[in-house]
Amino acid sequence: MIDTDRNPLIRLRGVSKTFPVAGADFTALDGIDLDIARGEFVAVVGPSGSGKSTLLNLLAGIDPPSAGSITVDGRAVHAMSEAELCAWRGTGVGIVFQFFQLLPTLTALENVMLPMDFCARWPAREREPRALQLLQRLGVADQAHKFPAALSGGQQQRVAVARALANAPALVLADEPTGNLDSHNAQALLATLAALVHSEHITVVMVTHERAAMQQATRCVSLADGRVASTGQPRHD
Amino acid sequence: MIDVRWRKVRRDLTQHRGRSLLLVLAMAVALLGAATILNTWTLVKRATEQGYRASLPVSATLTLTRVDAELLQQVRALPEVASARARRSVAANVQAGGRGRKAVIFVLDDFMPQGLARLMPHSGAWPPPEGALVIEKSSLEFSGAALGETLAVALPGGQATALPLVLRGVVRDVSLAPGWMENVVYAFATSATAQALGAPAGFDELQFRLRDAHASRAEVRRVTELVAALAQHHGQQVLRTDVPVPGEHVHAAQMNSLLLTQGAFALLALLVCGFLGVNLFNALLAGQAREIGVMKTLGARRRQLTGMYLSQALCLGAAASLLALPLAAWTGHAYADFKGELLNLPVQGYAIPWWAWLLQLAVGCGMPVLAAALPVARACRQSVGAVLRDIGIVAPGRALVLRRLWLPAGWARPMLLSLANAFRRRQRLLFTLLALATAGAVQLGAANLRGAVTASVDMIFNAQAYDVSLRLAQAGDAATLLRTAAAVPGVMAAEAWYGQRARLSATDGAVDEPFSVVGLPPTSTMAQPTVTAGRWLRADDGRALVVSRLLLRQQPALALGAEVDLVIDQRPSRWRVVGVVETGTQPLAYVPTAALQARAAQPEATSVMVTLTATSPALQIDTLQRLRAALQDAGLTVATSQRPAESRRVVEDHLQMVVDFLGAMAWLMLTIGAMALASTMGMAVLERTREIGVLRAIGASRRDIAALVQVEGLVIVVLAWMVSLPLSVLTSVVLGHAFGRVMFAVPLVLWPDAAAALRWLALALLISLLACAWPARRATRVPVVQALKFS
Repeated sequence: MIDTDRNPLIRLRGVSKTFPVAGADFTALDGIDLDIARGEFVAVVGPSGSGKSTLLNLLAGIDPPSAGSITVDGRAVHAMSEAELCAWRGTGVGIVFQFFQLLPTLTALENVMLPMDFCARWPAREREPRALQLLQRLGVADQAHKFPAALSGGQQQRVAVARALANAPALVLADEPTGNLDSHNAQALLATLAALVHSEHITVVMVTHERAAMQQATRCVSLADGRVASTGQPRHD
Repeated sequence: MIDVRWRKVRRDLTQHRGRSLLLVLAMAVALLGAATILNTWTLVKRATEQGYRASLPVSATLTLTRVDAELLQQVRALPEVASARARRSVAANVQAGGRGRKAVIFVLDDFMPQGLARLMPHSGAWPPPEGALVIEKSSLEFSGAALGETLAVALPGGQATALPLVLRGVVRDVSLAPGWMENVVYAFATSATAQALGAPAGFDELQFRLRDAHASRAEVRRVTELVAALAQHHGQQVLRTDVPVPGEHVHAAQMNSLLLTQGAFALLALLVCGFLGVNLFNALLAGQAREIGVMKTLGARRRQLTGMYLSQALCLGAAASLLALPLAAWTGHAYADFKGELLNLPVQGYAIPWWAWLLQLAVGCGMPVLAAALPVARACRQSVGAVLRDIGIVAPGRALVLRRLWLPAGWARPMLLSLANAFRRRQRLLFTLLALATAGAVQLGAANLRGAVTASVDMIFNAQAYDVSLRLAQAGDAATLLRTAAAVPGVMAAEAWYGQRARLSATDGAVDEPFSVVGLPPTSTMAQPTVTAGRWLRADDGRALVVSRLLLRQQPALALGAEVDLVIDQRPSRWRVVGVVETGTQPLAYVPTAALQARAAQPEATSVMVTLTATSPALQIDTLQRLRAALQDAGLTVATSQRPAESRRVVEDHLQMVVDFLGAMAWLMLTIGAMALASTMGMAVLERTREIGVLRAIGASRRDIAALVQVEGLVIVVLAWMVSLPLSVLTSVVLGHAFGRVMFAVPLVLWPDAAAALRWLALALLISLLACAWPARRATRVPVVQALKFS
């Protein structure tokens, strides 16, 4: 099923991904066609092995597709070189991982400043105030000078979101962002992501298997056996 | 404000401080070795250039029957000659502190020369006052006397009683090999003092320096021939000419060879250290793979990541340089001072040149960057997806194969696990093996060389089948010599030998370096050198020549079977080379006395070799004194006497010192090898923290875990030991050739003896136990819960 948005931020056409496993090819995604509009908060759902994380990795350019095309904000991600992907990811995409993936030898503040240093989108003197502002907005400014090991899971994930927003990307990709959080922290994080979509018109694509997370989304894309099984408004039970 | 990237670099270094420290220490050790050698070489080179060459060394020395003022004047007037002087070298015996020593007293026509062989007054009086001696600095300690003390000096054939001469001053003559090394007391005295001792008046040596400081040895020889012709025109006989390598100190070639060889091993140590660097950076980057992937998702370019990790390497290199270079400057100065003592050249006061500092810094900082380059490039090239999906070590190892090959049924499973673990990181294992095996191979090579040197010394001295040798001041009648010697109680047998100087007769006008020929009686039993090619002299030989291996190396025209024209006592004659023998450091040839005396002007003997009934040194010295007195009474003045047993100790000490210098590099490499093993085991424990946790969770005790680590280390060192055995053939060849260049060729011992191999195995096992002690301890201290959480 194809989204009918005329000018989508993300456009996937015939995207497939296979992995060699024990001498044979395992098909993780099989001919996906999908459009995602600007400002959408899309939850990608499905059972284990349905291809949710693989889809996210393809959108982020972390893995190349085996077939098909992926266009994000008018740029053909599938055709980019490794160097182009790095540069594009740095400014165009923010990624939030399930296990936070904060760099352990940097403080929370430094973790948020790091993408700004790599991409130099902001002058050096503006990076720290901006990083502090982002942490403030996510409610963890008081933890700015602590190392990740000294933070709770919820705090780490908030820092990870702040880091994902560091270079003001148009797209945030989140892989099970609440998977390692308690329900209270999970709700708070989802509310934050929803607020970002609303206030900054950022597009969020989130892989999740949690019902509460789906309900925050504006659209749910359901995958099964590497194909799009359904797409539509999330149910609010 | 520091970019966050550089803060990460700094904190990564401190987070893995054990690993960083190990790499810094290993690099510092290797750098210390290499930089010490470089510093020593630069200091000795500067001292040679500014000290030795600035002394305006003589280009040639001619020994004549007499040097008069007119001849000297004429030589000075030659356009090629910058300066000339007359000298007499007086052989003497000196006694101080109850011990007698050989001495050479130099009498000069001018003690304050400006244009030739400048001497450096050190302390006390200079020039020598009448009735006193000034000693050459390198002989002072050896002489047994101190400044102001009295030496009893006697000339062979001079006054019956020794003349007491006060030591009034110390002077340095950089052109002389160190007196302590040569076992000779070098001193200076006025002509009147020498005459009071019984030396003839006047001078018999003519020394000159060429105007052209860059003249070749051939050019010096050409002028020497001119001077010799001039002397002959004056009615003087040329007894000997000596043309040293121009501008080169007498021991410079050996010293350069030694430093070059040590330098080569220091570079090898750096290379081994490079392996360690590769290992450590591979481990560091394996641990950082996920972080690199994450940074790539944050927009990091490959260039930025490469810069970050190479900066880490640069920091480690800079730390190692900071640690090693000041120390290397100190050790370099100390080693150079020692080399200076060997060269009789003061090295103090010279500074290490700026380019040497820069080179050391570049190597120190560049080496870890170079070692890290490949691992960093590989890590930064990995795709983000691959590293984020990575689940750690999956290589199963090769224990199954080993179990089938080696291990009997029923062997403990943890033992198999240790074996398997040793092979899990094969590149790391290879580099660790190389580091340890190379160090072991150098150790074994040094042991082989030590054995070869001892065997060679045995061979050389066994060839001297006599107890004492006495050289006459002038050739004397052989029959009288033998009769007189045989009449002395305690003398078992005597042989009269005849020594001469010879040189190859060149057809192209070039003048070859003269060498010694020793004429032996046809039935000689006292010269028994080992024949390495051809045959020894026969009783019926005519003009047959047996050359020493060193002489053959210096003058390849004297090849086995060659017919050569020799100039002996200025007369040409044709000889045939029938054999090659080993005589160690002496370039000489043996000939039948009859053939030599048929051509020589004086058909007599120049020395007598004697076997004694006494075997104790004291009784032998006593007989020697009586022998000297008897020969003196018979009108045969003894210039010098020697006991081979005494010479052997001196020679052996010198040779083993060179072996020790070369062997020192093996210890340097062994230190680095031990560090490589410690780092490998440290990394293995760190990487397998989770696995160790699982083992603990299923019942492994702390002792089991420690044994697991220790056995893995032992497996590695035993493998390294096995690799080092064949590798030692190569190091034995390299060390043997190096020793050959520095001293003399020794027969190569390629395979280590069982004792040396077992000693190295024991050392390797000890190294393993020590190097694995800390990783093993750390492995046992990891709490199970924490280990299972480890990522």
